[in-house]
Amino acid sequence: MSNESALIAAAKQGSVGAFTELVGGYREGLFRFLLTRAPSYADAEDVLQDTMINAYRYLHSYDAKWRFSTWLYRIALNNIARIRVPAPDGSVDVYDLGDEEGGPLEKCIAASEIQNLWLSAQRVLNDEVFTAMWLRYVEDMSVNDIAALLDRSISWTKVNLMRARKQLESELNQSLKTTSKAYG
Amino acid sequence: MDKLAKRLREDADKIDASLSPQFKERLRASLENVSQERTPAAPARQSAGFWWASSLTGIAATLAVIVISNLSLENPEPARTEPPAQQFAAQFDWRLQPAVLTQTLEQELVAIQSDLRKAERVVRDDIDQIVVDLPPENP
Repeated sequence: MSNESALIAAAKQGSVGAFTELVGGYREGLFRFLLTRAPSYADAEDVLQDTMINAYRYLHSYDAKWRFSTWLYRIALNNIARIRVPAPDGSVDVYDLGDEEGGPLEKCIAASEIQNLWLSAQRVLNDEVFTAMWLRYVEDMSVNDIAALLDRSISWTKVNLMRARKQLESELNQSLKTTSKAYG
Repeated sequence: MDKLAKRLREDADKIDASLSPQFKERLRASLENVSQERTPAAPARQSAGFWWASSLTGIAATLAVIVISNLSLENPEPARTEPPAQQFAAQFDWRLQPAVLTQTLEQELVAIQSDLRKAERVVRDDIDQIVVDLPPENP
């Protein structure tokens, strides 16, 4: 039995310590992703907290055929979708207001790193494709897992990952050109 | 790993996602709360001495009640088994109005039918009178 399996078994018995240790390795990575998706820093924290609580509460339903990180992302995506759903009457929800100056992602990137590619990705890709790119290139998830997580077909996932790559490559080349011009 | 994938990975690492100690504490407290919801607290185990003490206290209290009740009932009154009849009799008014029958039922029926015929005749006469009094309609 691997260490992770042992921690999952202990957490299923109710051990908070085991659960904290189990999610400890995923917590910051997940929070980093939530910062790219949530309207504000506080929302990202709230979603992370809800995700952890839901994961602990429903750990008994965790199926070991999934990677634990994939299961956590599934819960996080459900929670983030809940705060981003527009009201039926079209009114602006308080969550849509976000941070006053820029999103949480801008705040968490140093000023010297303003050409961070994820900022460009946020600008040119839609939410779903952005998520697919993140899961593929940051979390190293398989295309099959991403498709299952997003409730999309494998072919849809492959095609959109390919298109997103092209868009980001173009953005990257453009930024490199701009930088080289600036330095003569 | 190609250039784009490498850059995406590096740029993700540049996002500061460190959690504040306050947030970590908040998270830990939330999980503790959920943990308490999941496992309701079991009643604390009591020692054998506690059970002996409580049993003896119960027996002593029972004996005290028996002794006190026997001492206070030296001249007990006989218990009443039936309630007094007057207690209920006064609650009901049995007086009823008697029916006023001056003739036999058959004669009463004949008299009522006669009254009905008279009333019918009066109504017909009234209707005829109204029709006669109406002004003629304009052509």
